[in-house]
Amino acid sequence: MNTCDRRSMTIITRHGLLMLACMMVALQGCGLLYDAVQAVAPVAKDELDAVCRAGKIRVGMAVEPFRPFVFPAIWTDEGARVTGLDVELVKELASALSRHCGRPVAPVLELVRFRDLFLFLSEAKLDLFVSAVPADIPSPTLAGFAYSIPYFYNGGVAGIIHTTAILERIRTNLHNQAMARESLIGNEQALAGLTVAVQESTNAHFYAAANLKASRLVLCDSLPAAFESVAESGIDVILGAQPVLDFMVKRVRRDWQLLTLDGGTPYFLTRAHYSVVMAEESYRLRWFVNNLLFRLDEAGRLITMRRRWLDEDYAYPRRAAAEGLPFDVEKMVPHYTQGTCRLESRP
Amino acid sequence: MRKSLMVLCAGVAGLLAATLLVPDRSWAVERAEAEETARLLAKLLKAGRLVVDQNQALIDDPHIGNKGFTSEVFEQKVIEEFRTQTGIDLAGIQHAPPSILLPPMAKELLPAFLAASKEVVHDAQVVINQRGIGYKNFIPATYGGQAARRFTARSHVRLKQTTLQPRNPKNEPDEYETSVLKWLSGRPKADAYVSELTDEGRTLRVVMPIYHVKDCLKCHGEPKGELDISGYPREGAREGDLAGAITVTIPLSVRQP
Repeated sequence: MNTCDRRSMTIITRHGLLMLACMMVALQGCGLLYDAVQAVAPVAKDELDAVCRAGKIRVGMAVEPFRPFVFPAIWTDEGARVTGLDVELVKELASALSRHCGRPVAPVLELVRFRDLFLFLSEAKLDLFVSAVPADIPSPTLAGFAYSIPYFYNGGVAGIIHTTAILERIRTNLHNQAMARESLIGNEQALAGLTVAVQESTNAHFYAAANLKASRLVLCDSLPAAFESVAESGIDVILGAQPVLDFMVKRVRRDWQLLTLDGGTPYFLTRAHYSVVMAEESYRLRWFVNNLLFRLDEAGRLITMRRRWLDEDYAYPRRAAAEGLPFDVEKMVPHYTQGTCRLESRP
Repeated sequence: MRKSLMVLCAGVAGLLAATLLVPDRSWAVERAEAEETARLLAKLLKAGRLVVDQNQALIDDPHIGNKGFTSEVFEQKVIEEFRTQTGIDLAGIQHAPPSILLPPMAKELLPAFLAASKEVVHDAQVVINQRGIGYKNFIPATYGGQAARRFTARSHVRLKQTTLQPRNPKNEPDEYETSVLKWLSGRPKADAYVSELTDEGRTLRVVMPIYHVKDCLKCHGEPKGELDISGYPREGAREGDLAGAITVTIPLSVRQP
């Protein structure tokens, strides 16, 4: 090693030490800077903390009317509003969050297509969503989401029909394989050969896709689209959430009737309890929502809400004017058409 | 309220005469201008309500998605209706010379109210264009209430719809409005308005009555007490009955001498 090389080594060593010293100072500075930022504007500890800091909770809701959980958006003296059982629940949640956070927490509603609710939640565009979603839908496409304890018990998948002949046919099918009714095959046989419409990505869709192999399946963007496509698509039965269908045939579409068994009891294909949906990793928020639902249930509020929206005689525009919530109009725009129906291609 | 002060006007002719007769000219001019502005604002709100009413069947059509009832279409129709009623062209109002028929205050406030109205129709598009849903509660009253509130929030003038039996608590009449509405309800339908100074002459209040027409009676007519489509009990009104009023409140800078 000559003198020149030795000098180079010395320079490199000096530079290395200098860099190391700078890095140490810088890292220490980063720590100080981090501490300073934390003191001024602390980073949220978890998603519940983030909601408190933001002073708002982003709640997704289906734009397709799921009466009485979500009614169609309506104009009021205060602007566009939505109302329904789910909206009342969101108001309870916002009140509880405000108490927890010690400051007002406003619910920011985003009305989007039902099938997009899961997408928006997975993209962290929502904190949670609520739209009569069953607590546990066995479908591989819905992995990665977490569900609260139920806020609505004894829902499930049921059907409506608009001709008595279809009702008789289904009842005959059920009689013919009475012993098999306890299995999934019983329902499959009952609806065999019929054209069944479901709203895409709902529990009814996943049930039908998995279990009704002997039926023709029509996928619709919404329940109103299903009604509109009856003649065109030859729809015999519309499957969906039983409380929604029951409400529809009693108050809106009286030309349809709920599928019932001989004794008049509703014919459920499956039972389900409806829950609030959150991201799987939203542990603290889930604890909070679960605790709220438990307390509401304990206090009898959930039962009161259910009776208020399912049993009472009311006109939703008045309730929307009195207690409805505003929503993000701009985000609703691409979602608000009722859509169409199409025959599902099966292998 | 001193009923003797109440003036029932049928046009601006009386105002012109008052302007010439009152000794303090600046006060008289300001009052005349404010009164004409208030009258025109109330007329413009009425025109907007009428346009909504004329398009009610389209708005409530469940079979059509995009109704084409955009804020621009609404604006054009309101401009036409207002021109028919008053002879004033809102499209060219910025270039119109100020006059007693079109005071400077009106030149500023009429476009502002039209803009607020357009915003309401724009924001209501998501509701109006829903397919599969009939009644959407976008009716003259809900349009008018929202447009008036938006306009009021941005100007020094208060515009309001009110009635003796309000469905919305925000439309509850104040003491003065109650008094005028009661006075009007005992009188036959007339194309007139009430104008009065209140607050010791510092505020001008104009009350323009609205009367029930046939379309209103679907919700406000008989049978009294039975719930209408929006869930409110019908009032049992008849065609030509007083429905309520549009009230305009304008503070005056010059006090009455």
